Amino acid sequence: MRFNEKEMVSLSRQPSEMAAELGMRGPKKGDVVKRRLVKLVVNFLFYFRIDEEEPIGALLLEQCRVEKEDKQTFSIAFLDEAERKYVFECDSEDQCKEWIDAIIKASYEFMRKNLIFYRTEIHRLTGKDPLEQYGISDEARFQVSNGLQALPRETSTL
Amino acid sequence: MKVHEKILTHYLSCTSPVDKEGYLYKKKVRTATFQRRWFVLKANLLFYQERPADRHLLGVIVLEGCAVRCLEAEEPFAFSLVFGPGLKTYTFAAESRQTQESWVEALMSASHCYLSLLVRDLERLYEEAKQGSRASRSSGSALSLAMNRISSGALGPPVDVSVRERRSFSASTVLQAPPSSTKAVTKKSPKVWSRRNAYVTPLNGPPPPYGEWPLVGSDAMEDFSQLHDYYGQEVGRVREEWLRGKRVEEDTSEEALIDLQ
Repeated sequence: MRFNEKEMVSLSRQPSEMAAELGMRGPKKGDVVKRRLVKLVVNFLFYFRIDEEEPIGALLLEQCRVEKEDKQTFSIAFLDEAERKYVFECDSEDQCKEWIDAIIKASYEFMRKNLIFYRTEIHRLTGKDPLEQYGISDEARFQVSNGLQALPRETSTL
Repeated sequence: MKVHEKILTHYLSCTSPVDKEGYLYKKKVRTATFQRRWFVLKANLLFYQERPADRHLLGVIVLEGCAVRCLEAEEPFAFSLVFGPGLKTYTFAAESRQTQESWVEALMSASHCYLSLLVRDLERLYEEAKQGSRASRSSGSALSLAMNRISSGALGPPVDVSVRERRSFSASTVLQAPPSSTKAVTKKSPKVWSRRNAYVTPLNGPPPPYGEWPLVGSDAMEDFSQLHDYYGQEVGRVREEWLRGKRVEEDTSEEALIDLQ
């Protein structure tokens, strides 16, 4: 499958608030913990070998489950395969919580739900559709459709 | 760099909403020919395959850091995704003007960055609206503030920013809080900004003047934050002028539109 690799590498170099050296272990049996520079940019988690410019890989943070494993460790599971997890070891409990929170909130789907919630609420409170001024009221991606409810913003399910 | 394909294909096939799908012609750079492909736009990802029913995914384009441009020169109903100097330009062609415009609009609002700024703006409007409805006994400042910002577009009247309406929301994160003299509420609801898509050359008229195409000749590689600041300053200036004009009007202030008593 082709993808715009160069552009993604360029994206991985964008400044990010969430970038840190963490211990990272892959999902396969026999994978060991390795020290990686992990960086959250938009809805991708890039991981680099320490001091390398180009990332080794990128994980799309959609349709995944982020869980706290223990005090300083969290995991990300994809593909509804609960056993196949990427595990990340942090330096502190606070850092661990910060990462979990950031990853959940980085999901495009999470943001979309928030948008729909705010849009609905603002309309309810003020009688006006806030998206009108941007000329995007009719964009499919911002509609409450497909039976989607306007969910409250602190949803932690992905 | 490895992109975990399985995760991407899983996302494509899961139940999250498809933002747009359809056939487009994709230009093969090496041979300069166009190939018909089935495209699926989901979030900030543009997937493509040969046919809708295909299991095999040909590729995906991550839509961050690119500009969408219309090109009529080489092919009717053509448009491209420009990532900037040293990076790719993807060229597509639609089968009709309508399809072209529809895709261009969908792609322009597809990035994560765009959504992120939009959510931030709306979050603020929501907080203001909530405060306003709670403090219904006061002079209704917060609510009329929120309504003021919404109905006035938070950016002043529609000046010649037809293209910037796409990005203009970012300016409100740059703008200061509205002035304390919010007694005067907008006199009438302003007309909704016309949805002129300045990226599309009008069929029967001349193209908009060069100055209205801010991305033409600009560096699409520019950091989004720079673009954000650039437009923010521009719109900040426009808003200043509008506010100055408004203060003159305040002498003839009318009844508030909302009677909160």
